[in-house]
Amino acid sequence: MIRQLLNGNEAAAAAARLAKIEVMAAYPITPASGVMEGLSRHIAAGELRCNFIRVESDHSALASLIGAALCGVRTFSATNSQGLAYMSELLYHASGLRLPVVMAVVNRALSAPHSRFPEHGDAMAQEASGWIQLYCENNQEVLDTLLQAFYLAEDEQVSLPAMVNYESYIQSHTREVVEVPAQEEVDAFLPRRLQAWLDVEHPRGINVVTGPELYMDYKYAQDEALQRALAVCGQVNEAFAARFGRDWGGAAEGYRLEGAELAMVTMGSMAATARMAVDQLRDEGQKVGLLKVRLFRPFPAPRILRMLVGVQTVLVIDRNIIYGSGGALAREVRSVLSHQSDTPVYSFIAGLGGREVGTGDLVKMYHDARQAQASGKKPAPYAWYGLTG
Amino acid sequence: MANNLQTTPEEELFTGGHGGCRGCGAAIATRQALKALGSRTMVVIPASCMATIGGSGLTTAWEVPFYHTLFECSAAVASGIRAALDIRGIGDIAAISWAGDAGTADIGFQSLSGAAERGEDIIHVCYDNEAYMNTGGQAGGLTPGLARTTDTPSGKPTRKKDLLAIMAAHQPAYLATASVAYPEDLMAKFQKAREIKGFRYIHILAPCYRGWKIPAARTVEFARLAVESGLWELYEMVDGQKKITCRPERRIPAGDYLRPQGRFQGFAEEEILALYHN
Amino acid sequence: MSKSLTLPRTPSAEAGTMARSSLARVWREQRPLVKMDLCNLCGRCLFYCPEGALAGGREILANLDFCKGCGICANECPARAIVMQPEYTKDPGLIGGDE
Repeated sequence: MIRQLLNGNEAAAAAARLAKIEVMAAYPITPASGVMEGLSRHIAAGELRCNFIRVESDHSALASLIGAALCGVRTFSATNSQGLAYMSELLYHASGLRLPVVMAVVNRALSAPHSRFPEHGDAMAQEASGWIQLYCENNQEVLDTLLQAFYLAEDEQVSLPAMVNYESYIQSHTREVVEVPAQEEVDAFLPRRLQAWLDVEHPRGINVVTGPELYMDYKYAQDEALQRALAVCGQVNEAFAARFGRDWGGAAEGYRLEGAELAMVTMGSMAATARMAVDQLRDEGQKVGLLKVRLFRPFPAPRILRMLVGVQTVLVIDRNIIYGSGGALAREVRSVLSHQSDTPVYSFIAGLGGREVGTGDLVKMYHDARQAQASGKKPAPYAWYGLTG
Repeated sequence: MANNLQTTPEEELFTGGHGGCRGCGAAIATRQALKALGSRTMVVIPASCMATIGGSGLTTAWEVPFYHTLFECSAAVASGIRAALDIRGIGDIAAISWAGDAGTADIGFQSLSGAAERGEDIIHVCYDNEAYMNTGGQAGGLTPGLARTTDTPSGKPTRKKDLLAIMAAHQPAYLATASVAYPEDLMAKFQKAREIKGFRYIHILAPCYRGWKIPAARTVEFARLAVESGLWELYEMVDGQKKITCRPERRIPAGDYLRPQGRFQGFAEEEILALYHN
Repeated sequence: MSKSLTLPRTPSAEAGTMARSSLARVWREQRPLVKMDLCNLCGRCLFYCPEGALAGGREILANLDFCKGCGICANECPARAIVMQPEYTKDPGLIGGDE
């Protein structure tokens, strides 16, 4: 193990190198390009035996990885925002074909208006695509989660693609001290469980026309496999923690939730800010904790429900907006709490397109929620926080 | 050698029972090509008739590994297959991207151009029936001018895209045209392409009787008339050097090829030829 | 929530599974008749048949499970050794005799 100062993209590249990916395909897009550049340097330096396909589009990036994954090799890509949206139909192909492609997604706001800045809207737009979705708080978690993602995606019980999300600039371009594990340790942690579906010795016709008599059964099997990822995610986390000494909590992590009357629920880099807000509020005697969701798909409903036992108020901060509906995470949390209708869920849309959300903002959201609850007001479906003027 | 019909393998790698129309020119092209390519071949086909007629549910007519991919990206998928085979040290399997004229010249062109520019070690095949036959026969970039299709009932106002010139401009390791009416020539080209490394492009004229509005029995005949009329030339290019590979036994006026096709009904030969690509 | 069918994990069909007889025999309108006294065994019909329904050797045999009756073989035969016969004559609903 060595400690290095790495930004999120460098951490992602380090993880893919340690996972010994065999085929990478990626198309330049800001701010994810650093991942493919980093891996290209590893390949050029002879540190990684991998075929890099310098494709002409994000669409072709995932298309070529689907071809490679069908031949039973370990595949990896990185993209975000428009690139991810452009890949959309292929996301459904990869999951429908049950291919364990792993992808780093450097969450960036979708155009229009044009933006390069952090937001989870790009990944949330693909929430129904059948991919495992994991979200990271810091660069160490980016590296660790990617290693876990290969394990999780390739598990025979799962065999589904996974995207590991971290935010543009806040994470992709900010350096932090990251512990980079030794190759032997990663080799011992990460088994190879890949199947070649394209095989001249056992030819198959893949994705032949499927009528109403089979299509739904395939989809049932796919959803069942994605649901199995919940349990496997916990196993992966345990195996990882035992070997590397870092326990990220699996599907979700609680911070100072003991005795909390209000739980803040959020994902990604906002969780780091929320930790500071919780510390500050706890210092002031407020009974508040943080529930950080790592696994958004499949959504760990039973786990979240257990973690929120005893909590009287829930405050969800979403760095995304499902237009006409609200925050994606708040919607999930409300669904989980649907049979505890006396637990109000306050939902804030915040930090879209990189708008700053500091500790003070989260503290203010906390007090807003508390005040609203004290005044007996029912929570609005969602509220926008931090608009100009 | 496959260029002798008597000695061509009898093994069928695309079997009967498939869902193609009677007289399907695309199925003929596939059968002929696979006889030359052999069983160590992987085929990727994007949205098209050929992607759908090879089976349904739990049955398939394909006897080689086949993957039905999305419309835009067959050449990219084949690139990925090649990358995976190479990293696994498997060099003798041919990765084939097999697309219709839409999956080649229109919606599939971006990935095709990318793969050609990168010099991917794959063979891209365009089976050209000059319209979007899988969706009901709409016009596309490779539909000839004035052809009446389901979305150009008054005749397509623009000419056929000169895709062969565009592909030649990519300087592929191998480029060839072929016709289902000339199986020896077609199979010899697939055999030759298989032995060459790098990006290879083969463009097959494969009439569709429904789109061309000709009798099904005359599918192959019209493929031949295209060559005999000089409107579809059989050639190959290696290192940019063009060589005619097959000269028809007889020559016919272009009108004898064009006029009997129902899709050109009502147009004079000169009008059709004025919009013809070459 | 239960199902009896075991499907492959990746939606696919194994080679060799195409039905050994297609429905073509139901709707086929005509079938090829090969006159071996005229046939010169050039083999062109084998390569032009979209179904691979013709087999060569010492004689040309048509597999009527697969033949869709397109007539390409008859149209292309240089020896005019193949003729297409209608599947039904008087009664249009009657499918031709046993293969």
